[in-house]
Amino acid sequence: MTVLETKGLTKQYRKITALNNLNFYIEEGMIFGLLGPNGSGKTTTLGLILNVLKPTSGSYKWFEQAPSAESRKKIGAILEIPCFLPYMTAVQNLEVIATIKECSLSHIDRVLELVGLTDRKDDPFKTFSLGMKQRLAIGAALLADPPVLILDEPTNGLDPQGIVEIRELIKEIAASGKTIVLASHLLDEVQKVCTDFMVLRKGEKLYQGSVKEALSDQVTLEVASPDMTLLTEAFSDFTGLKKVERKNGVLVLTPENGVTTSTISQHLLEREIVLSHLVTKEGSLEKQFLKLLDQE
Amino acid sequence: MKRLLQLEWLKLRHYRPFWILMGLYALITVVICSSGMRFFEFLKSEGADFRGLDPTIIPIYDFPDIWQNLTYVASFFKIFPAFLVIISVANEFNYRILRQNIIDGLSKKEWILSKLLFIAALSLASTLLVFLIGIVTGSIYAHSDAMGSIFQSTSFLGAYFLDVFVYLVFAFMLILIIRKGAIVIVGLFMYTYMLEPFVTLFISQYPHLPDKYRVIAPFFPVKAIHNLIHVPFSRYVFMEIQDYVSLKEVAIVLVWLGIFIWIIFWLLRRKDL
Repeated sequence: MTVLETKGLTKQYRKITALNNLNFYIEEGMIFGLLGPNGSGKTTTLGLILNVLKPTSGSYKWFEQAPSAESRKKIGAILEIPCFLPYMTAVQNLEVIATIKECSLSHIDRVLELVGLTDRKDDPFKTFSLGMKQRLAIGAALLADPPVLILDEPTNGLDPQGIVEIRELIKEIAASGKTIVLASHLLDEVQKVCTDFMVLRKGEKLYQGSVKEALSDQVTLEVASPDMTLLTEAFSDFTGLKKVERKNGVLVLTPENGVTTSTISQHLLEREIVLSHLVTKEGSLEKQFLKLLDQE
Repeated sequence: MKRLLQLEWLKLRHYRPFWILMGLYALITVVICSSGMRFFEFLKSEGADFRGLDPTIIPIYDFPDIWQNLTYVASFFKIFPAFLVIISVANEFNYRILRQNIIDGLSKKEWILSKLLFIAALSLASTLLVFLIGIVTGSIYAHSDAMGSIFQSTSFLGAYFLDVFVYLVFAFMLILIIRKGAIVIVGLFMYTYMLEPFVTLFISQYPHLPDKYRVIAPFFPVKAIHNLIHVPFSRYVFMEIQDYVSLKEVAIVLVWLGIFIWIIFWLLRRKDL
């Protein structure tokens, strides 16, 4: 099922076009990374699909239907910062959300347990640290056990340990089969957890695709052998490579699509070359991202 | 509907300023409304008299006149619940609760209804309070021959409910337009007690103004709301008063109510949150 689909979504402020004619879709089960530099339109996109911003033009569909309050009840979302009433406790704040989502109050203890706030559940929200606020927000988003989760910069402002905790939490949630939309400007973060991603820049979509595909373009192999000249010669008649480079005493190979490490080592074995060094390097989304930004 | 009222209750139940403001409001209303006789006794001890009458025999707590007297006086304190409405909405903007509520699956219409229901509940509570004050003070001070008419003229309680309700909806609209609690609180106070009384007084009394302009004075919103219950006390110095709720005046207020609610819906539909 298509969880979300947008058609020509545009948001214009007086002089600035925050989002221009955005078309994208999210399929069930995707962990969808929404990438882009600060101010590229990520939060605007999320605001539009959550009905807190009015689109200048364009439309979107949730669960293949016109959007409504009912469809939003099936979405757990946090936008930018955690928003709760500061004078109320974690439990009291979640009671408000449970009333809105029309779900049972019995879910409250479960999500507090899940985000590790059980022992602080009766403390006022204003006494929470940023990490705890962020965790409560994720708990709130999970309250009605929604099939879709939208997280906007969930690790923003957290310390390294907090970041790891939130990341683990996202992976756990993803493993339970939920569709997750993760907006972030941290490429590393998206690469670590997402299956698919979209890149925005200045309100325009630059790219949408799967993380695996984007990265497979960039797998490189490092090889070395006691006799480097022989090794270099061995690749002169090998067609499966885009590039062979000598770097820091090793050869860096960029294979064509479909050429795997075993194809290459088979080729070397036939020539009776023994390797002293073989490392496969995954590409990084960062490289891909910078390449995308450069293209325009 | 129960869900929407409950939502507002959950948000305010643990908010201490809510209880402080409500307590203060109830206290002031009770004290002022029930101390009429004490006030007259004070006047008497100071040697005041009304054209030779002992002020303490003025029957302000006699049924059915008591209803107009009490609702007229109590109506001056409706600014307290209005502040509460302003604070509760301003908090939702400050802490981005409205936005989060919409994200969580409340529709904008439901959010407005939940506030309007809460305003109606406040108005009802206020009306109930005045009713209780009437029953209690009436049973203490009313002259016995007037006891049979307790429930006469209770239309003033209905008018009082409308008075408070529409005024609070007015405050609700203002905070949605301006969004800054402190500004709206000061602004509403000045407008209610200074600006509009001055303007309407000017229009109705300034000698050099052509008469055709004078008719607009009763149409100003706060004036119109206040006009639902006319000044009752001049009857005790044998002047004629309007001792009933005029349907025409109710109609003016209902038109304002319609305008306020229309603006509220229009604002929220149009604005980004």
